[in-house]
Amino acid sequence: MADKVSPVEALPAASRAYGEIGPRSDHPHWGMVVDQERCIGCWSCAVICKSENDLPLGAWWNRILTEGASLDQPHEGTGGLTMHWLPLACQHCENAPCVKVCPVQATYHRDDGLVMMDNDRCIGCRYCMIACPYGVRTFNWGEPSRPTPHETGMVAARPLGTVEKCSMCVHRLAEDQVPSCVWSCPTGARIFGDLNDPDSRVVTLIHDRQGEELLEELGTKPSVHYLPPRRKAPL
Amino acid sequence: MTTLTQTPVPAAPVTWRHPGRALTAWLALLFVVMGIGLLAFVWQFANGLIVTGMRNTVMWGQYILFFMFFIGLSAGGLIVASGGRLFGATMFKPITRVAVLEATVAVLLAGVFILPDLGRPERVINILLYANTTSPMVWDIAIVVVYTLLSALYVWLYTRADLARRGSRLAFGTGVTERELARDERLKSALAWVALPAAILLHSITAWIFGLQISRGFWYSAIMAPMFIASALVSGLALVILLSLAVRRVRRVDFGDDLVAFLGGLLGVFIAVEGFFVLAEFLTAGYPGAPDESGPIARLLVGPYAPLFWIEVVVGLVIPFLILAVRRTRMRPGWVALASAIAIGGIFVHRLNLILNGLSYAPIGVPPGVAIGVDQGPAASSFAMTYWYVPTVVEYLVVAGIIAFGALLVTLAVLWLPLREQAAH
Repeated sequence: MADKVSPVEALPAASRAYGEIGPRSDHPHWGMVVDQERCIGCWSCAVICKSENDLPLGAWWNRILTEGASLDQPHEGTGGLTMHWLPLACQHCENAPCVKVCPVQATYHRDDGLVMMDNDRCIGCRYCMIACPYGVRTFNWGEPSRPTPHETGMVAARPLGTVEKCSMCVHRLAEDQVPSCVWSCPTGARIFGDLNDPDSRVVTLIHDRQGEELLEELGTKPSVHYLPPRRKAPL
Repeated sequence: MTTLTQTPVPAAPVTWRHPGRALTAWLALLFVVMGIGLLAFVWQFANGLIVTGMRNTVMWGQYILFFMFFIGLSAGGLIVASGGRLFGATMFKPITRVAVLEATVAVLLAGVFILPDLGRPERVINILLYANTTSPMVWDIAIVVVYTLLSALYVWLYTRADLARRGSRLAFGTGVTERELARDERLKSALAWVALPAAILLHSITAWIFGLQISRGFWYSAIMAPMFIASALVSGLALVILLSLAVRRVRRVDFGDDLVAFLGGLLGVFIAVEGFFVLAEFLTAGYPGAPDESGPIARLLVGPYAPLFWIEVVVGLVIPFLILAVRRTRMRPGWVALASAIAIGGIFVHRLNLILNGLSYAPIGVPPGVAIGVDQGPAASSFAMTYWYVPTVVEYLVVAGIIAFGALLVTLAVLWLPLREQAAH
């Protein structure tokens, strides 16, 4: 599966600078912080993910859950109505259940902490989807149906009968650019950086705002951290 | 009809006395079902697993269900063969060959059932090339291969001497001297010591495919492996009883009704153990009170899966146990056969509940749930909190084809292998 050439280099200098990954350590462990206080549930990151990674209709690597009764509905918390979102994609776990169970090592860790998929090796047994407690993996069930006849993605489409998931836009990282969900967020709710660099913005934010891991009790050690909303006042 | 009366044999209308017609019809049926199953598999291969009822939410379905069901069925041969050896239960002798044949075919079919479940069955060789030693699926494939070979070796070892007496090439040049017969006995005893742990591993590892997954609360339980062994013993022994009665009917083995009653009593004990594990699991999970009503235990006891669960308990466990516990019914082969049949059905429903209840609900229960993975059209949501899995016709046809293949193997073995124990020694 040949990767396409990302057109990042064709971007104007200002756009390139906007998307550049900040300083990092010698051995970066890429991670992301999602600020639930800033998230407005607009699904921009989910939609650009579909376009960037050429996801067919029905498949999502990234989705926005509404904490509460139903999609985009406030729910009654202590002291009144509240409304929060939980943007959810692959957590790139350090102790990844999917990597453990894959019978053919088609899903594996990179040195920089990312959990990757080799779609040329995957046999399509879907055991990784069973093992993932976050439900972020998607299978290519049939021939992809797309809204346009044109390919939109910056990477090649994945073959039928294999599992795929968020790659943290690994093709953009190679060009020193943050994942597309990060630069496209209108409220800056996603921050990307090096978890191994004690001075990086992700590490200081996790420290200052008591960043949380999703399903921490399962011990998966995600590379994605959530900053819970501080504002508890009712709407 | 007319052909039957025209034949010179005046005996009762046992159709197998005239194998020509009945056998031809049976084999033709099997080949037709196998052919249709193969076509369905090719159709699925060409179009992808979209032709099944599985989606991202319930990503394992009928194929995995039948995989673990047949793993369980393969337990029967071992109980009778190595149980008879290790614990000196000589009364099993007349049906040992049928039992090990059943085990071989069942575990072979279980292996075959993995193939249609794969999105890329043509890449199955990758399991050998890039085997991941931390994957329970790799452990399971290894033990399935070992167990298949052991069972086949069992069948050969138990029929070898009679094959040699017939001068069959399947005896592979071995003879029937005193020394060779004595060596058979030593090998059978040695094999029993290997096969018993292998069988326990087979059922345990299959359970661990599910039971080690912390992502699925309903499965993540230490009782999973013991319960898989218990349910395997129930379904495996029940199938051996049914198959032995069938093979006795076509006069390929001989044994008395007292053996049927004994096997029925043993089956009753296994059913009681299975029931005990089910109770232990549900009491442990349910006693503290589920955090919310959609918890897996509540779903089974009173929720959408309750009918299936109560079928499992009442029809699959209580009724066959009562039939087998009461002496008057246990002494009648017809009743034992009935109890065996519904006990097998109960174990099937038990495994169905395991799959459905383990997978039907989104792992993070926050709206809108998990992406289904398939275009739902402009009017419907791409996401689902729950998913009601219903197998498609394609899945049924593939399953039927594989089972027909197993039936063919059993039929050919009944025809060609000496299954009758010689009374001489």
